[in-house]
Amino acid sequence: MAVRVGANVGEGQVVFIGTQIEHAPLARALARHAYAAGARYVDVQYADPHVRRAMIELGPDEALGHSPAWLIERAQAMAGNAMLATTGDPEPHLLADLDGERVGRARQTDLARTALALITERKLNWTGVAYPNEGWARQVLGEPDVERLWDAVAYCTRLDEDDPVEAWRVHMDRLGRRAEALNALGLDRLTYRGPGTELELGLLERSRFGSALFHTAAGRAYVANMPTEEVFTTPDARRAEGFVTSTKPLAVGGDVVEGLRMRFEGGRIVDVQAERGADVIRGQLEADENASRLGEIALVDGTSRVGRTGLTFFDTLYDENATCHIAYGAAVGGHEGDDPDDGINVSTVHTDFMIGGPEVDVDGVTRDGRVVPLLRDDVWQLPE
Amino acid sequence: MTTRSREERYAELIVRIGANVQPGQLVEVLAGLEHVAMVRAVAREAYRAGARYVDVRYVDPHVRRALIESAADDVLSWTPPWLLSRERNFGDEHAAVVALTGDAEPELLADLPGDRVGKARMVELAKESSRQVTERLCNWCVVGVPNAGWATQMFGEPDVERLWGLVEHCVRLDDSDPVAAWRAHTRKLASRAEGLNRLAIDTLHFHGPGTDLVVGLLPESRWLAVESETVDGVVYVANMPTEEVFTTPDARRTEGVVTSTMPLAVDGAIVKGLRVRFSEGRIVEVEAEEGADVIRGQIEIDANAAALGEVALVDGASRIGETGLTFYDTLYDENAACHVAYGDAYAEAVEGGQIEGVNVSSVHTDFMIGGPQVAVDALTRDGRTVPLLRDNVWQPSD
Repeated sequence: MAVRVGANVGEGQVVFIGTQIEHAPLARALARHAYAAGARYVDVQYADPHVRRAMIELGPDEALGHSPAWLIERAQAMAGNAMLATTGDPEPHLLADLDGERVGRARQTDLARTALALITERKLNWTGVAYPNEGWARQVLGEPDVERLWDAVAYCTRLDEDDPVEAWRVHMDRLGRRAEALNALGLDRLTYRGPGTELELGLLERSRFGSALFHTAAGRAYVANMPTEEVFTTPDARRAEGFVTSTKPLAVGGDVVEGLRMRFEGGRIVDVQAERGADVIRGQLEADENASRLGEIALVDGTSRVGRTGLTFFDTLYDENATCHIAYGAAVGGHEGDDPDDGINVSTVHTDFMIGGPEVDVDGVTRDGRVVPLLRDDVWQLPE
Repeated sequence: MTTRSREERYAELIVRIGANVQPGQLVEVLAGLEHVAMVRAVAREAYRAGARYVDVRYVDPHVRRALIESAADDVLSWTPPWLLSRERNFGDEHAAVVALTGDAEPELLADLPGDRVGKARMVELAKESSRQVTERLCNWCVVGVPNAGWATQMFGEPDVERLWGLVEHCVRLDDSDPVAAWRAHTRKLASRAEGLNRLAIDTLHFHGPGTDLVVGLLPESRWLAVESETVDGVVYVANMPTEEVFTTPDARRTEGVVTSTMPLAVDGAIVKGLRVRFSEGRIVEVEAEEGADVIRGQIEIDANAAALGEVALVDGASRIGETGLTFYDTLYDENAACHVAYGDAYAEAVEGGQIEGVNVSSVHTDFMIGGPQVAVDALTRDGRTVPLLRDNVWQPSD
């Protein structure tokens, strides 16, 4: 399903799989299915977070942000081809005892820039899928119950349906109509109100809501995330005011950030507090000059299958689909050469964090000044 | 005192004596998924030794299997350009290279068509590796890492502990001072190579059951032990273990028949009972009880794959030979017995380097031809016959 519906691999494409050792059974299945779907060549790259840990702990400063030239060349070769990424961190706390500032700086910035450019310019068909494993199950369930995690993953990705492909079609149609209804409102800004949250986010006149059903520039349809429950858009990078409290823990950069609180002024994050892991966020925000501006706003209601499990997955692919979220860093749908001062953010970072839930009300304010309730008690307010 | 793990002690030997990683060096690690614990220990030790950056590539044989099963013919031997750039950069930057072996699934490809298995090699990548060796750009080291699959292949059961015991013995990690033990060992092999060079050998003769082989050397052939030096003067031990002295033969002067004395693990298949006939330097006939097609596929990869690129002498004092076991891993088995390799030659073992008679190929496959029943003699350029091995005992004084 990840190969056929998600990335929608085409005849003759080179398929790039980014994975890790604990996901090997999935990576191998993806490789076989990709060849069956007509892939010309399948390139599997295994990342090892322990080797990254060794670099952060023992390596020289210059190693931290280094992007090997061949990895950039590999990313560039993805243009016109397909990519599959696997998630489900087997050791989410692996880097927790290291210097947070070095962890934050250990990002392959040039590589990230290349990959983000390809994604935002829709030059490749790709998807992300998770692979249940013991470490991830322990983090989510408190015990290494991989079977139970598989059940949750199957439910969220609609693999439990008799006809998952048809279920995905119906689901993406619904999200598509939801995005159209939002676009018809002519929104100027969104407001969020809840415990520890009082936030106003400006939209651009050209901001358009969409679902994760994308088309490449060459016209190939693909579903970039499995699961996906969101409708999302690019905000005005100059207009974010107020404060927000994250409603879910966030797994980022090998650590788990909890109780995150941020304050915005003039579109920028000006203060970061957290019960745990604030340094990792601060390190990321310093990665480049526009990392602290927003690049994405997404709305998710309580019908989300991910939300309904009641679980925190400590995996952005899942948790961002449980509830409303925003991301600091690069805009989805941005382009190299966009000017953040015109409203569309450009950055090498893109980190989603969750700000929605039953206690958070979301309203839209239209350009002609009407206030339209969008979410109350996690229930979608617009007619569907 | 904290007890260091087996992996940490092994990593120290690999990084400090084997590859001899230098401060500021780029380091490549090449491994299988089952070597993960060792990869991580090597990465840590390399950074401790001052590595600038450690670039690990895990190779998954199941993905390769999918390629062999499904990819178009012209893709089988294709090198993705990004992997070629990666490899070239290691050569250009004079990187240190650590390669881990110990196949966890040695028969994974055994049911696939042998000719496709043989052709599924990244030819351009192999050429670049060969350039690095020929131009002595990189300090590198190949070592074996015990795992359940390798142990099962050897013992019929996944007794990884027993395999670790053997590996520790073979690489001298069981010595109280492994570093000093390696210094003494490489000195002994170096003096053996010097002794052979003084003989001025014209041809080597191998006689034994199913073997009657003459391997001609070049006047410029030089015997070497595995301790080598890069163009930058970094001394390294390319194989751990190593028990051989070796040289580059005259690719035009191999004649006769040879029968392999050990099974050979190659390209995900096990080749047993291999018999090869040479005429005017080239393999002209390949027979085997099992796996002959894999060898036939390999020697057709390019024009010179069928000619010899290496001849190596090993005696029964070898720690690997002493175990009496077949390891199904060339790194180990080639150090248990005398062997030859078809394919690419080491120009390093020739005065004047890449001269006529030194083979060039993208293939290099060793197979074992020595043992207690195989006598080895040298015929010198001044016409003397000198016994080198009888009953697996080294005949010249060490």
